[in-house]
Amino acid sequence: MTRNVVRSRPVGRRIMLKGSAAALAGLSAPYLNTVTAYSQTGAFNWKRFQGQKIEVAMAKSPRGDLLQKHEKEFVELTGIQVGSEQIPEQQHRQKLVIEFNSGNPSFDVQMLAWHVQKRMVGKSKWMEDIRPLLKDAQITAPDLDFADFGEAGLRWATQADGRMDTFPFNIDYWMIYWNKELFAAKGMKYPQSFEEMVDTARKMTDASAGIYGWTSRGLKNANVPVWTSFMLGNDMDPVHPKTLQLQTTTPEAVAAAALYQKMNKEYAAPGTVGYNWYECQASFMQGRAGMWLDGIGFAPPLEDPTKSKIVGKVGYGVMPKGPKARHSATFGDGLGVSSFSKKKEAAYLYCQWATNKAMQARLLQSGGGSPCRKSAYVDKETVASIKLPREWLDCMTESLNIGRPGLPEIVPVTEFRDVFGIGLTNTIGGADPAAELKKATEQFQPVLDKSEKA
Amino acid sequence: MVAQARAPSAAPGAPAGTAIDRRRQYYRFIYPALAIILAVIVFPWLFTLYMSVHEWKVGSAREFVGFDNYLKLAADQRFRESVGHTLYFTFLAVLLPLGFGTLAALVFHRDFPLRGLLRTIFILPMMATPVAVALVWTMMFHPQLGVLNYLLGLAGIPPHTWVYSPGTVISSLVLVEIWHWTPLVMLIVLGGLAAAPTEPYESAVIDGASRFQMFRYITLPLIMPFIVVAAVIRTIDALKTFDTIYVITQGGPGTSSETINIFLYLQAFAFYNIGYASAVVVVFFVLVVMLSLLLLYLRQRAKWT
Amino acid sequence: MDLTAKLKRLLDRGLFALSVLVVVSPAALVILWMLSLSMKTELENMEYPPVFLPGEFTLRNYVTVFENSPFGRYLWNSIVVSGLSTLVALLVGVPAGYGIAKAQAWRLAVLTLIARMTPGLSFLIPLYILFQFVGLVGTLWPMVIIHLVITVPIVVYVMISFFETLPPDLEEAALIDGCTAWQAFRHVALPLARPGIVVGAILSFIFSWNNFIFGAVLAGRETRTLPVAVYNVLTFEQVAWGPLAAAALIVTLPVLVLTVVIQKEIVSGLTAGSVKGG
Repeated sequence: MTRNVVRSRPVGRRIMLKGSAAALAGLSAPYLNTVTAYSQTGAFNWKRFQGQKIEVAMAKSPRGDLLQKHEKEFVELTGIQVGSEQIPEQQHRQKLVIEFNSGNPSFDVQMLAWHVQKRMVGKSKWMEDIRPLLKDAQITAPDLDFADFGEAGLRWATQADGRMDTFPFNIDYWMIYWNKELFAAKGMKYPQSFEEMVDTARKMTDASAGIYGWTSRGLKNANVPVWTSFMLGNDMDPVHPKTLQLQTTTPEAVAAAALYQKMNKEYAAPGTVGYNWYECQASFMQGRAGMWLDGIGFAPPLEDPTKSKIVGKVGYGVMPKGPKARHSATFGDGLGVSSFSKKKEAAYLYCQWATNKAMQARLLQSGGGSPCRKSAYVDKETVASIKLPREWLDCMTESLNIGRPGLPEIVPVTEFRDVFGIGLTNTIGGADPAAELKKATEQFQPVLDKSEKA
Repeated sequence: MVAQARAPSAAPGAPAGTAIDRRRQYYRFIYPALAIILAVIVFPWLFTLYMSVHEWKVGSAREFVGFDNYLKLAADQRFRESVGHTLYFTFLAVLLPLGFGTLAALVFHRDFPLRGLLRTIFILPMMATPVAVALVWTMMFHPQLGVLNYLLGLAGIPPHTWVYSPGTVISSLVLVEIWHWTPLVMLIVLGGLAAAPTEPYESAVIDGASRFQMFRYITLPLIMPFIVVAAVIRTIDALKTFDTIYVITQGGPGTSSETINIFLYLQAFAFYNIGYASAVVVVFFVLVVMLSLLLLYLRQRAKWT
Repeated sequence: MDLTAKLKRLLDRGLFALSVLVVVSPAALVILWMLSLSMKTELENMEYPPVFLPGEFTLRNYVTVFENSPFGRYLWNSIVVSGLSTLVALLVGVPAGYGIAKAQAWRLAVLTLIARMTPGLSFLIPLYILFQFVGLVGTLWPMVIIHLVITVPIVVYVMISFFETLPPDLEEAALIDGCTAWQAFRHVALPLARPGIVVGAILSFIFSWNNFIFGAVLAGRETRTLPVAVYNVLTFEQVAWGPLAAAALIVTLPVLVLTVVIQKEIVSGLTAGSVKGG
């Protein structure tokens, strides 16, 4: 960095100061450690913790790719070495819990999936509250511009007790990918309501030709957001955000499950019960499905001619309006510092860098996600350099305004997804939606009660 | 196999004291291995027993609950279903490879050109890394793009949904098991055929027995002990199958291929109910031992007859 | 010669050749299909009806695998973990097999048999807690140690059945000549046991190599083994069948080569010892 002039100090003094600096630093910033010489300086300095090495754990995703791709920039900026890795979602989440619980995790920075592990991590206070750090001018970059983070991201990043243990990083909006060619062949337009959506899917389905109007996740666990997407259109959350009461047997929940059943049983390919997003994506990319409901972050391969047969023919549709409301289910990730880390400041610097304006703009450019900073969307240069079609960006910005969490903020999210996911899968096989929801609710209620009591 | 006790090897004329001394000497050979086994195998067993009488969810405190976990398990519908899936899967994944493996052994017992090479190709699946192979099978099972449905189509058979439908998922997974483990059965049975005496066949030919009769009344009894050995090994492994199911279906669709092992994995590593999962381990372990003992007993009986 | 007899023999031969074909083809076809997937472009891999022979032969998928992740490092980890755990298993398992066979300590043998019956998952939590306690997490040692669960029983087993079949006369002669039990083992039994040791070593190496679940839960960034790495090739934003098949082949290849090279020993070892790990 040229902005911060690094002052060299005589070696003798450096060593001498080390001890007392610890006490001083302890007063001004409780998190500061004294490993490097720069810990005495009062002003912010990126290079203050150079020579340290931090470990970053991420779930496998385009976001992880992006961070790794530009990692060198951080190393040059700070002199901090980074060991980072991406592992598949499921394994990553499981490791996070096991390692945090052991009290000696191997990572300093953690990419946290808010929609799955936010409350669990928050209740156990496994990650550092960043609010006091943000007020500390010694370790927070002056150009951080926290106000630039949009409200949706901040809401995700804030725990129920007000703690903020991650920086907002990425929000995934659910929308509908649609195949323009198949729509044109039947002379149809993109549906604006759930009713039209059903109607369109029905008209487009031609099983003998192997063409289906609809595809979405049927695999248990993975399928729950499809159902909650429909539930949000009925203006209903699966769990009440304030009281944490299950609302999974309400008429709205049942209607959503019935819609889930109809779409996946009648207008989707046989075998849908076993589909995760990649099976859906594969059949959509082969031009065998008219509409695909999933996260907006899956777009780049669809427009890649080496992988997709439908380049240029993809429409990006905002979630249609439900009977009572129009919402796009949202999910997201934050970046935060492990409470057990011995290099919290270096880890905190990494989080600042990873969520800075330039990185957030790159996230938008790559098409791999939706940044949480407002500035990314208004920067003309960024917008102009996006490789994906303009329609994709429009869909995203429209979804921004109607975003609503797609999964409940409770501790046992995985169990929630598992239990209700099984019920939903059963409906595709012909089981009664209301009965399945009732059964799942009975099964899940004690689990939820226990998790909140503990 | 271990259970085949041989006659004592001490020289008949040696005094009894020396024999015992010598046995004691031989025990020293075992100690290092025993130390390792105690540390990495026996310690986990004891620890699991200890955990199984505690309610212990990751992130919260441990609490002694006695046999609650076991009682809860007995009432857990999902667990009981997983036991059913495990037994069904095991039954098919033992029986079919046994049948095919025996047939293959009969084929490889005959001499023909390129036998060595073809036998090597045949045993490759059992050596292949299960995770890698399971991933390839997942692609082959794809209902729209998979090669299996294409091949069925060539034969004029309508496409199947394989692991993508609750009704066919277990039998499709068994298909992978057959592919993987038929070679093991073949090798064991082949060993039995190689050890079989030739005289009974010669007299049978003289008596004008048909080929099937010879197989039924001479070969089969001779190789039966080997088939039972194969059945024991196959049963243990089929009960414990994890990689294949985890990679291909993770117990789905719904819970239709959720075996005890997958249920155990979910409880331990997805829901973090460590105490409950430990109780599953104990029950599962008892089941494996019981079934193996049953088969070993059958083997003893097969030997006596 | 009788024509019908001739025809019958011909038919017989034809049927036998057909049955050989039927027996061998599933193994061959799946492996060939893997090969085909790994050498085609992504578009061809997603084509339906499937493309069998690559229209455009490419090694791109293999390059992708090595570019996208430190596969070389994982390969090395796998070699270290399987190699060391096999080595330790041999060091303790060969004498143990000998001791058990000689002292007829069947109860110990049954202990290893039961170890073989225990689901692998059940070792994970207790051992993880143990490793945490000892402070080994983050190194390759936990992986080496937990793989002993697989390798030690295999080696002990193969060696028991091998030493059982070894005629006792030679050692008895050595003992009468005044050798200690250790000397008799070291100088008489051990050299004779070489074929058994080879089989035990290779089997335990292969089954340790193929293990997935231990690595999936225990291994970190620096300590990942190959089967886990292959599973991780499943990329997030799209299925990449080509690289996946390439990675799968890379993992399986060393084992397949080992199998081909020493298939005779494996055949005899398996028929004699009848063991497999897991």
